[in-house]
Amino acid sequence: MTSAPLWLAALAACPATVIVVSYVRLDVERLRSLAVGAASIMTAIALGAAFSPRLRTFSIPTTALAWRAGNESILRIDSFSAALLPFAAGLWLLTVGVTPRAALDRSGLRRTALATLITFASFLTESAVALVVLATASVWTLLAALAAPAHRRVRRVAAAYLGASTVLFAVGVMLVTAPSARGTGAETLGLWLMAGGALARKGILPFHAWVPEVFDRGRLGPAILFTAPQLGAYITVVLIVPHASPALLRTIATLALGTAVYGAALALAQTSARRACGYLFVSQSALVMAGLDCTSASALAGGLLVWLSAGLAFAGLARSVLVLESRRGRLDLATYHGGYRRMPLLAIAFLLTGLACTGFPGTMGFTGQELLVDGAIDLFPFMGFAVVIAAALTGLAVLRMYFALFCGRPDPPVPSALSLELQPRETWTFGALILVLVAFGVAPSPLVDSRFAASEAILRTRRMQTAAPELGPGQATAFAAPRSGHLQPQRQPQVGPSENAAVAEVHHDVH
Amino acid sequence: MSGALAALVLTAVAAPVGLFALLGAASVAGRPLTERWTAFLTGTAMLLACTALCIAFAIHESTPAELRLLSYGAWSGSYSHAIGLEFLVDRMSLAFAALSAAILGIVAAFSNRYLHCEPGYNRYFVLLAMLSTGMLLVALAGNVEVLFVGWELVGLSSALLVGFFHERPAPVSNALRVLAIYRVSDAALLSAAVLLRHVAGSDSLELLFSGAPALSLAGLTPVKVTSIAVLIIVAVAGKSALLPFSGWLPRAMEGPTPSSAVYYGSLSIHAGCFLLLRAGPLFEQAMAARLLAGAAGASTAVFAAMATRVQSDVKSSLAYAALTQVGIIVVEIALGWSTIAFLHLSGHACFRLLQFLSAPNVLHDLHGMEDALGGRPTPARGYIEALAPRRAQLGLYLFALERGFLDSWLDRLVVAPFTTLTRRLTILDQRLCAAAAGASPAPPDDGSDGHDD
Repeated sequence: MTSAPLWLAALAACPATVIVVSYVRLDVERLRSLAVGAASIMTAIALGAAFSPRLRTFSIPTTALAWRAGNESILRIDSFSAALLPFAAGLWLLTVGVTPRAALDRSGLRRTALATLITFASFLTESAVALVVLATASVWTLLAALAAPAHRRVRRVAAAYLGASTVLFAVGVMLVTAPSARGTGAETLGLWLMAGGALARKGILPFHAWVPEVFDRGRLGPAILFTAPQLGAYITVVLIVPHASPALLRTIATLALGTAVYGAALALAQTSARRACGYLFVSQSALVMAGLDCTSASALAGGLLVWLSAGLAFAGLARSVLVLESRRGRLDLATYHGGYRRMPLLAIAFLLTGLACTGFPGTMGFTGQELLVDGAIDLFPFMGFAVVIAAALTGLAVLRMYFALFCGRPDPPVPSALSLELQPRETWTFGALILVLVAFGVAPSPLVDSRFAASEAILRTRRMQTAAPELGPGQATAFAAPRSGHLQPQRQPQVGPSENAAVAEVHHDVH
Repeated sequence: MSGALAALVLTAVAAPVGLFALLGAASVAGRPLTERWTAFLTGTAMLLACTALCIAFAIHESTPAELRLLSYGAWSGSYSHAIGLEFLVDRMSLAFAALSAAILGIVAAFSNRYLHCEPGYNRYFVLLAMLSTGMLLVALAGNVEVLFVGWELVGLSSALLVGFFHERPAPVSNALRVLAIYRVSDAALLSAAVLLRHVAGSDSLELLFSGAPALSLAGLTPVKVTSIAVLIIVAVAGKSALLPFSGWLPRAMEGPTPSSAVYYGSLSIHAGCFLLLRAGPLFEQAMAARLLAGAAGASTAVFAAMATRVQSDVKSSLAYAALTQVGIIVVEIALGWSTIAFLHLSGHACFRLLQFLSAPNVLHDLHGMEDALGGRPTPARGYIEALAPRRAQLGLYLFALERGFLDSWLDRLVVAPFTTLTRRLTILDQRLCAAAAGASPAPPDDGSDGHDD
């Protein structure tokens, strides 16, 4: 028996404590200190869980509302989700660590803790119904952050897109979980609706427009915390990839590859730093989606790696824009702002997180992008080059932002008492982020191997699910395969030619 | 013997990598090293790398093997086809790597005095260490990933050094232009690499550099070989400023003189030529690509020879003069004269470095001479263009003065359509949002006050 429940309870207690304490009358800076401490502890515990093989086998299976073959785990830690836990905790730490004092309030800290708790819970479940509930709750946290009258318009935009996404997802889940729908057209429709919901949530063409709008005219902090974990990617991996037909995966991947280029190109041409961040996210998020929907182990592992690297790097980049805004006001990319000499650490943090976002050599995303390009071109000989073009444009967009925001103008004379440089807490937070991005860039093996293990487990599940459509919950466990071995069905299911083809396809891709 | 060679090559690469890590970490930590320590460490690292490579060259020459793949194991993980740390050494790669290390050491010593007390001293040396790492990786790369890493490091350090004087707008906007062309080059190289892996199932450069038998064994048909070769030419054209990508070269002169010397007189501009040289066996199997390379090289040489005569600043004039020789080197490679091309490349890298580094002194002496003479010395006569009719001379002059109108063509054919398209797409996105919100598109200045987390 593992002590996983204790670990999970400790992890959940961190944001929960902040939520509870936020209702006590406490100075907001003290509350922030508590949140930073809780986020640091949560990150450390989550890293421990991620590196412990014992904890990665924990699961609480259920057949209630389970979908198709196999038991669903209402709560589990496996090779896939283990790395997502420190990722979610790290994003929270980054958020509370570098939020400008001017934007700090009690409800904001409570909301970030709640959003982290929701993300954390989402990453621990593979239950479709639970994910619907959690996805809806996370949308609510974003809309709650946009409650002020100044954000009424953008709140409506977010509500329209994310509401539609949630409805599509919920209806899709209803269709696929209905016992009478198994193996029928309703189930196929349900999968397509779920895919539509995931695409809208991730801002993939043609459902992308809300992302730059919320970044530009909404509140950047909550937008980063909502988008960076990429719950849409998680839904895709857990609910769509194992069950979807090759046609559906191909459609999603094609849309994602197009979006990657589209987002990068538009990021390069924006005059608002916030909107450019929004389009950068659209591009990065689409690259992740493209990898996840390629049914080869390398592309899937690449997608999972880019998910982590781009999520952390993008959050760091957007946070540094926010920190800069707190010193200068709204940032326009059409003019040069200068300031490198007065804010060298912030400039370096921006540049390094931006380069990490583009998968520059020596950063965490490099290997992921390499795997992604390889896998995408294997499956889409021409469209696959979209990843190359998107990477080139993204790099250019990041350098353009860096030059516009920190260079091109001599620093004006200012009173010496006014320091624009990062505060110690911000320095430590950005320093830790950069250390992680560079450390896993220089020595990527542990992370890459863990993502390969996860991708092979996901593809194994896909083989199981596509090969056994008629089996009810719990019956397909007979297909369980050794972790590193080939799939050896112990009971031959009755599969049609298309299913056989799907199995063969995945089998070929993995090996 | 092989073990010693592997250890020496690894030492040579590790020296600039360690230097880059040390200087970079000190900068990021906000505690840059003193000038004295920076210069000492840089000089030591370059000396170590150069010495190791010279000994490695001697060892390699004493053995019969021509091409040797030194593998240090998988770097990126334990999955199949993981990225390996591999170096491919032969006489040419070791010699070029040793030459690069020596040149970088000389430039570092020169820069130490040239940039003394400059606010960006530390930043300059971090970027020089990045260039050193990139150049040695490009010279010694054994697989496409290692080559790509080196290629990217050279490109980024180059762009950041063009924008070294970043408190003025011109260096910054020129750096962005340079980077844009480099990104095209990077994308072409990455595409070539991916195509190679996709078609041949291997990322080893040994395959490309070993000639026809290896290529046919890997299933590379003439069409595929030509496709890869053409992508490599595009990558080389971007990095070495061959036509039609020559427009960035004068813009790159915004950086400090030592960086201009090492990048655009000596090493970076020749990195593309070196790649073409190494890929010679590939080009032997792709006649169309050879013709393309030859045409690009010849046209670049003629264009640069014209442009260099009318430049009004010494650095641009030297840069175009360097480009003329680069064009000729590419023609030599296309003709298959690899030994001559390598000697030309090495000699030219050293000669042009000297010219760039001594240019400020020459200008100083020239001003002294002008003061002594009481005016400018009489210009030499008898240029070949005097044979052309007067109108043609004027046309050529304008063409050279405007640097072949390359920038205006780039603006008209690429930048303007791109800007128009992206602006329209942005407006379309805003209208989509307006439709979703049931309102008219918001004015551009609508939104938060900048303190809005």
